[in-house]
Amino acid sequence: MSRGSPRGSFAGIAIALIAAVLVTVVMLVIGSRTPQAAIRAFFFGPFSNTYYLGNMINGFTVLVLTGLGAALAFRAGVFNLGGEGQVYIAAVVTAVTANAVTHASAPVGIALALTAGVLAAAMTAGLSGLFRFLWDTDELITSFLIASASIPIIDYMIVGPLNDPASNLLTTPRIPEALRLLRILPPSRLHIGIIAALAVAALAYFLLFHTVRGYEWRLTGLNIEFARYGGINTGMYILVPMAISGALHGLAGSFHVLGTHHAALVGFSAGLGWNGLAVALIGRSHPLGVLPAAMVFAYLQSGSRTAILHTEFTFELATIIQAVVFFIITAQHLPSIAPRFTRRIGARLGIRSNNGGES
Amino acid sequence: MIVNSLGIMAPILIAGLGGLLSERAGVLNISLEGLMLTGAFTAIVVTASTGSILLGATAAVIAGAALALVFSIISIDLGSNIFITGLGINLLAQGAIPFISNQMFGTKGVLRFAEMPILPRLELAFEFRVPLVHDFLFGHHIGVYLSILLTALTWFLLYRTGFGLRLRSVGSNPEALRLRGLTPEHYKRIAIVLSGVGAGLGGALLALRLGVYLPNITSGRGWIALVTIYLGYRRPGGVLIAAFVFAFAETVSMAAQGVVALPNTVLLSLPYVLTVIAMVVYSAVRHSGARRHYSR
Repeated sequence: MSRGSPRGSFAGIAIALIAAVLVTVVMLVIGSRTPQAAIRAFFFGPFSNTYYLGNMINGFTVLVLTGLGAALAFRAGVFNLGGEGQVYIAAVVTAVTANAVTHASAPVGIALALTAGVLAAAMTAGLSGLFRFLWDTDELITSFLIASASIPIIDYMIVGPLNDPASNLLTTPRIPEALRLLRILPPSRLHIGIIAALAVAALAYFLLFHTVRGYEWRLTGLNIEFARYGGINTGMYILVPMAISGALHGLAGSFHVLGTHHAALVGFSAGLGWNGLAVALIGRSHPLGVLPAAMVFAYLQSGSRTAILHTEFTFELATIIQAVVFFIITAQHLPSIAPRFTRRIGARLGIRSNNGGES
Repeated sequence: MIVNSLGIMAPILIAGLGGLLSERAGVLNISLEGLMLTGAFTAIVVTASTGSILLGATAAVIAGAALALVFSIISIDLGSNIFITGLGINLLAQGAIPFISNQMFGTKGVLRFAEMPILPRLELAFEFRVPLVHDFLFGHHIGVYLSILLTALTWFLLYRTGFGLRLRSVGSNPEALRLRGLTPEHYKRIAIVLSGVGAGLGGALLALRLGVYLPNITSGRGWIALVTIYLGYRRPGGVLIAAFVFAFAETVSMAAQGVVALPNTVLLSLPYVLTVIAMVVYSAVRHSGARRHYSR
């Protein structure tokens, strides 16, 4: 099955972002009792104090990691739609590990908890890659299904056996103080994980565009038959990108526990995987393109979070925005339709466009 | 238990048949879940406001077809990635339904209406003495009979009409169709809309059987419908058997819940676990079959 790697066109990206903002405004106007305040909170709220600002940047960290995870898979021509589950699995495994290694010194404990979480997520995603490698099972569907199957089980574990009896929240016990990552911008939740996220982005860029393996990785994504003909071990570039994609989602989940919340909250990962996909698509599956895309998305996200005081639709809003972004971003015929459309409007208004000649 | 299984089977089967049509036209429609959810919501709202199940189901079909049309326009005319678009449809349904529900009824949650008509059941006027046969044939809600009827109809459409032949060749050999002067995109669009019809009706049955709309009422049934297509070897009869197997598995697991005390949340993952196992086994079997074929 050849479906290529989806990469947004520039016109698609611009239109998608405009559409995302429009949809947000329309929904806030319809759904809020105080639309003006909601819109103001949406656009300016994220910058109103250090708490919101720091949390927005922290949201950026998560989006960079999940976006990179999705993008690296896209580049190899594989789809990882199980990001949400992988983030969740990593978070729980990290939380359990961190609470188990209380006697270890801080660096060792953090390293252990982080590795355990990342490995668990990499294995979950890698399983889909393995099925694809062995039997050509569509990894797009299995990754989604495996994640969907694991989410209710993790929900149950957090609510049930792993629950913190001391807390009223549905959460695992908080991890030891020593293992918590350094916070940068108190009172916000921004932690030093952002440095790791930026480093991973740079590393991914270097790996993909300045190494032989990266070249083979991209070639497999562009045309798997051609790559195989050229002697590239294409099976490896199905399995490994899936596992690495899972690992990056896992890193996001582990950071959530070690840095952001210090525990795994039930259902915290809802929508994170889809956000990562949207970011990868806006960033045209380029490791450095993911950074501005994650920034825009973090802004939209934290804007809708500050607007929550004025509307009850944060989750629905985010979902609908993602849908709109998904619809438009990979549209291939938009660049050809858009000029035709504007020309038609122009003709109606009696304006003749100069860039005629393209049909 | 069989009565229950058939009742659970009907929505999955009808959605699966719709999905089969688009799959045969070469479009794997992963938005069945969202289309079903839309059908379920529309069916309850329209049935409650008109008092007619028929109108409710019709509206659900129209809503499913309309959303599928949007899907086909975005994926075929705008040339968007078909998987990403399908996911977008699922997300749109998940996001827009609570929003609309809240605008109309002031709640994002359960929609329960007084005087909701219930789905009629087919009962015999006279005593029928053979108990097992009786249980198998009668006493089900009309959706069960409809789903069987639609299976036959889908088979007829695919294998006994010129339209079906062309639809299948869109999926297997679009170039041949183009050479004959036909446009494959046209058939793809029709197939996608038909999958919306099936999923909309399936969702309607799901909700009308309960008489309420619950958030996430489909809970993965659209995905199961998708997998029945593969599991049923892409044939209407196969989809029927696969849908029944899933429905039976669900009935058994619900019955088992009382015995082994499985937590409710864990049960939620069962459809996905079964689906992924079915897919992996199917592709492994097909893979080894293909290899044998190749070596011969």
